[in-house]
Amino acid sequence: MINVRKAGAYLLVALTALAFGYLLAAQLRTQLLVPGNRVARTEALVRTVQDLEQANSGYRSQIATLQAQIDALEAQAGQRSGATQSLRDQVALLRAHAGATSLRGPGVTVALGNGQPGAGATDYLVNFQDIQDVVNLLFEAGAEGVAVNGHRISPLSSFSGPAGTVVIDQGNPLYAPFQVTAVGNRNQMEQKLGDASNLGGLRNRQRAYGLALSFQGSPDLTLPAYDSTLEVRYAQPA
Amino acid sequence: MRSRRSSTALVVGVLTGLLAFIAVVQVRSQFEVERTLSGVDPTTLAFLIDDLHRANDALATDAGTLSARRAALQSGGDQQAVDQLNAELAQLRMVDGLTAVHGPGVVITVDAPLTALDLQDAVDSLRVAGAEALALNDQRLVTGSVIKGGNQSLEVDGAPVRGPWTLSAIGDPTRLAGAADQMTKALRDDPRVLHADYRAEGDLVIRSTVVQRPFVYGSA
Repeated sequence: MINVRKAGAYLLVALTALAFGYLLAAQLRTQLLVPGNRVARTEALVRTVQDLEQANSGYRSQIATLQAQIDALEAQAGQRSGATQSLRDQVALLRAHAGATSLRGPGVTVALGNGQPGAGATDYLVNFQDIQDVVNLLFEAGAEGVAVNGHRISPLSSFSGPAGTVVIDQGNPLYAPFQVTAVGNRNQMEQKLGDASNLGGLRNRQRAYGLALSFQGSPDLTLPAYDSTLEVRYAQPA
Repeated sequence: MRSRRSSTALVVGVLTGLLAFIAVVQVRSQFEVERTLSGVDPTTLAFLIDDLHRANDALATDAGTLSARRAALQSGGDQQAVDQLNAELAQLRMVDGLTAVHGPGVVITVDAPLTALDLQDAVDSLRVAGAEALALNDQRLVTGSVIKGGNQSLEVDGAPVRGPWTLSAIGDPTRLAGAADQMTKALRDDPRVLHADYRAEGDLVIRSTVVQRPFVYGSA
């Protein structure tokens, strides 16, 4: 009985030591990759990106707070005057169409993910044009509002970014996996997304590199409000 | 016997603790290395840094504007609220494409068999360069505008459009001119393109507007 217990204990120690050794080796390998000027420079750049991303999130949350405070002050003014309230209602309608307020309703969520590297240099990565194509298709199919990874699309929204990253407006870079969510005519959107003649480029790369592309309809989705301001600086009413 | 068992337990305990520690360090290191090395090269990172600097500057300006608006509302009373709501109404009507606008910008003219995708890309490039109002052959465009069809039967929001193409954009004149220059140079390298050029305008007018569709499925 004692021998069995002893053997069990030694086995446990041995297994633990084995796992310990394996992880130590893996750790050392990881650390060996880090030195070298090129990697150190890349790491410094990554840290700068991360700092700027943090500042970006901070500004956007500051803007959201300020907008909520302004809204509350305008609501108080609206309570004191019917004309001001009517003006607020007109602004609210335009804000809704600009994506500046949240939107709830039936819709679809399109999921996109990177594939496996192959012959084409960056073709296995989801790029901003892919997201732009999906967003355009959804609007064509009757979307009343669209958000990409929780970032609401406005009438002035733009898509850019190097391969594998998607930058929308003044937001942080977004990385795969992507979720494009749309509220609107669910049936029509599902039909367009299911039609093999649409999103040809994406479907080809799905076959070639295993890029992920799928969609799911839902009776109730909520899109967040646009998280920045829609200030126009150069255009004036004609 | 009791002391030998407890010393074995101690060894196992210490080793398990170390194992957990190293596992955490390992996972963190691997995450960092992956974040650093997986396809994000220094050039890409430099682009991202440029974009983020510009974005953060714009956001800081917007935050400053909103702070000033809040302060004015706090001290200015009901008339200030009316003034601000009217100003926002005018801004949003421009953003939503519901009103004619004027301002500095560029006009790009292209004679080439462009596809809906070509036009969508051109419009997006101008938006990235800060376009605040856009029109294609006198059809006003917002991000939700639908450009579709083949070369012989292209449509913008259901209205037929055909080449030669005129893209008008109002916004930051320097950035728009830079984008227009790059775009037209690239087009001129394409043998199918008969003509591609642009001109900067100090005060360009876009008269066309978007017809707003009411929400049928979504609610606030």
